Amino acid sequence: MPPSIHPVQLISVLRLKSLTPAIIFLTSRRSCDEALQSFGQGGVSISPARREGITAVLEELTVEYPSIQDHPLREIVTTYGVAAHHAGHLPSWKIAVEELMRRGCLDAVFATTTLAAGVDFPARTVVLTQSGVRRDQDFTDLSVAEVGQIAGRAGRRGKDSVGFAIVTPSPYMDLGVLVRGLTGRPEPLDSQFVISYPMVLNLLKAHPVDHIQSILAKSFAQYQLNEQAERLESRHEKIHDKLVSYAPRECSDWLTQWNAYDHATRQAAQKLHARRHVPPEVSERLPYLTPGRLVTFPRFRGVVLRSYRSRGQHRDMVTVLRNGGTVAESAVADITSVGSRCFDFTPAPAFPWANQETLAWLNQQLESLPKQSPAMVMSPVIPEESGDDLVKSLGDLFPCPTCRCRPTCAKEFNAANKLKQEALHNARSVQSLRTGLWHKFQERADTLHELGYLDAGYKLTSDGDWARLIRIDYSLLITELIRAHAFNGVSPPVLAGLMASISYDNDRPSSFPRITAALAALVTVARRMADALAVHDDPPLLRADVGGLAEQWVGDPTITWPQLCRGTSAAEGDVYRILSRTLEYLSQIHSLHATHAELGAVAAQAMDRIRRGVLEELP
Amino acid sequence: MTRNDLERALAELPFRLLRRLARSTVGPHILRSGKRRMIHAILAVSETNPERIDAAIRTARAEQQAIEAVPAIVPDADAAQKNKPVDLGTFLEGLGVPEPKPFVPDPWQLEALDALLQGDVIVSVPTGSGKTYVAVEATRRAMMEDRTVVYTSPLKALSNTKFTEFKKIFGPESVGILTGDRRDNPQAPILIMTTEILRNLLYDAAGGEIDLRLDTLGLVILDESQFLADPERGVVWEETIIFCPSQARLLLLSASIGNPQELAAWLTSIRPYPCHLVRHQHRSVPLRAGYLHPSGKLTPLFRTVSMPPSPSQAVLHPEAKRLFTQYEEDTLHTRRSG
Ligand SMILES: Nc1ncnc2c1ncn2[C@@H]1O[C@H](COP(=O)(O)OP(=O)(O)OP(=O)(O)O)[C@@H](O)[C@H]1O
Ligand SMILES: [Mg+2]
Repeated sequence: MPPSIHPVQLISVLRLKSLTPAIIFLTSRRSCDEALQSFGQGGVSISPARREGITAVLEELTVEYPSIQDHPLREIVTTYGVAAHHAGHLPSWKIAVEELMRRGCLDAVFATTTLAAGVDFPARTVVLTQSGVRRDQDFTDLSVAEVGQIAGRAGRRGKDSVGFAIVTPSPYMDLGVLVRGLTGRPEPLDSQFVISYPMVLNLLKAHPVDHIQSILAKSFAQYQLNEQAERLESRHEKIHDKLVSYAPRECSDWLTQWNAYDHATRQAAQKLHARRHVPPEVSERLPYLTPGRLVTFPRFRGVVLRSYRSRGQHRDMVTVLRNGGTVAESAVADITSVGSRCFDFTPAPAFPWANQETLAWLNQQLESLPKQSPAMVMSPVIPEESGDDLVKSLGDLFPCPTCRCRPTCAKEFNAANKLKQEALHNARSVQSLRTGLWHKFQERADTLHELGYLDAGYKLTSDGDWARLIRIDYSLLITELIRAHAFNGVSPPVLAGLMASISYDNDRPSSFPRITAALAALVTVARRMADALAVHDDPPLLRADVGGLAEQWVGDPTITWPQLCRGTSAAEGDVYRILSRTLEYLSQIHSLHATHAELGAVAAQAMDRIRRGVLEELP
Repeated sequence: MTRNDLERALAELPFRLLRRLARSTVGPHILRSGKRRMIHAILAVSETNPERIDAAIRTARAEQQAIEAVPAIVPDADAAQKNKPVDLGTFLEGLGVPEPKPFVPDPWQLEALDALLQGDVIVSVPTGSGKTYVAVEATRRAMMEDRTVVYTSPLKALSNTKFTEFKKIFGPESVGILTGDRRDNPQAPILIMTTEILRNLLYDAAGGEIDLRLDTLGLVILDESQFLADPERGVVWEETIIFCPSQARLLLLSASIGNPQELAAWLTSIRPYPCHLVRHQHRSVPLRAGYLHPSGKLTPLFRTVSMPPSPSQAVLHPEAKRLFTQYEEDTLHTRRSG
């Protein structure tokens, strides 16, 4: 069995059951195009009357959108009554497909989910073939809202009594996601408020700094943060009530008191525990292992340089100078005998615990010792303090051991302390929720001050006054380039090229025309600037190759749209989008004409030259 | 079923269904005859193939019940539906073009228009319900009061469609469009924009630039306002709402807001007038879900004809479930071997 239904068969089933017109949602542009092409082999052509209908509508639209005239997909659309609709197409072609659909000329349109929201493009049936969508590099599940928008295209008011959403499986489809999407409620909207540099400049242009906090407080972000803070606060109150229920105690702050006491007891117990585990032969040696003491191990003899307790395992250790001159770390437990000899030397505070001269001297002493040297006679071990005594000794510091609340405190401390910690955490969160936006604003404003767009009182400087007009992504990069005179003497094609490469944020690989040395140089300058600004703002991809496309279109007025598109592997729709984004960026630069007349004029020229052919035919 | 039972059952069927039954069992020629002749012809066929007639009557009855169940929920039919999974015939029943009806605005559309007289409005109703009607009528009213109207959408494609649509309704001279790279008739009383452009105009005005269009602004329509939660562009919707002049009404339209109440409460908290929420979940054209197997077999996706009201109540149709399980097993197999 095929992993998914063949498009031609799919459409014939839908036709048979009178479920057309239909929109078939596919994962990628490529699958839409392939589905359409598959009609070339084995598709059933529509009646001549319907063909004429389609041709008539296309003719009508050609008046306004000449590029429809020779569109390569026209043939398939008129023969089989099916079309594709995705971002790889020109807007004019998409409008044509939408219009054909509205007039009921098509049986089916293969579309990507980009169609889903907002476009007035309904059908009797929608076919869902996937439960996920590609976002950046990942494949993520469709949200309930997205499935809702897709399924929502089904059933045209006034033209259908019923609409159908038909699921057809493909490998890796998760039916659960679609069932949830079809029957569930859309997700709640969450604020995505961010504070950008243009926002800071524009707010400070219009308002004194002491009004800013109250303006930010109007955002949905702050509204939601406040709601969250209120939830935390009401939880806080409940916690407080619960905590009160643990009282009364002898002492006013029993949690702190008990915590300190508990800590002290535990430490004492640990000490006790550690001491208890020292074998008697070790503890008996310990007092003698002073620096200079001669000790014997099974395989060697040595002089103690220092004695200590290992950090991890709490074992008693010595650093010894072995005969031969090496310094080694050894366990006290491994010592076979402690000598009566003790060499007198001055220990150093750090490794190797004595100066080189002393070490050489000690080594010499070691070498010259007779094979057998007398061992130490040990005195009996001092008796240990008992555990009870230790705990009792805490009684001098804490009232707890004798307090009547002690059992209750011991029992309730953990639960109550958890509540207290949560309360503290809540209080801190509430604080940061309430002031987070303002701090972010200050951070941005400080950067703008540092760069010279704002003065110390957060008022716009003359640079800030024009820079606020650049209200697009990467505004800081653009205004810094202007201030660095990077655009002095720039030509319209090069300016357009740079704006294209700043504005294009897609890393989908494609090949583009070569760029001129002038554009390459400017892109390099921009990249250096973007890197320098990276601490303040994420740098753009700055794809020089994309810039080449805009540069060519603006630089060579004789080049036609098909020629331009032939020079790149990017889809027509992408080329269009690159140029229209470039226009947007150029028009922002143009808005600076009052202060930057020359640059504004270059931008205007570039915009003029972009607007021709396909780019003029449309919005 | 005896012959007598069968005859009675046939006689009780609505004539429309009887005709369909006769045509499918006896043949199209029988349609010219009357009810009695039809019943007799069907009974004659039933002598040779009783199961077929029996099944056909049952399907016809189920369809009948489904039709009756559509306008008002009949408890019995509902119970029957719950017990027995819907069949394909019932599932596809009623498909087609409805009778043309004169345009009558829905109550929720009027409610939204009324509420706009008092303050801002959020309309949160399913896709294809007719949110545009509210936008158009509100625009018409604002025009009569000599007020400027701004319509914004997140997508250039949608802005263009609305530009064409509004020009048709209000005349080309009354409508302008402003996007990042296009301006057409920018001083017109009705302006179609991307939300970014409106935000920029509001900033310019706040910065001291005089803009008559904003002084007379009476209505701002934010279509597809779920974009407020867009990770990259959402902030622009917030800025627009925060800086929208207080004399202008805000009209937010969307089919995909999970928390319209929260949004309305926010607007109420920052705007001079309370925000009214118009919301319902009733689809004006009912939606049904089907499952199409790669073999070409179509079955309902759920046990019920209509869409289950929530995921917890969604029970898959046994046939869809069987086919999908089989599909998963098959593709798992080919995926492994391939
Ligand atoms: N009261 C009504 N009676 C009948 N048809 C209506 C009514 N109101 C609107 N319609 C029709 O419903 C169709 C869909 O309307 P519209 O495009 O406004 O939907 P929408 O709510 O904006 O949906 P979407 O969320 O997809 O944008 C239109 O063809 C419109 O003419
Ligand atoms: Mg709409």
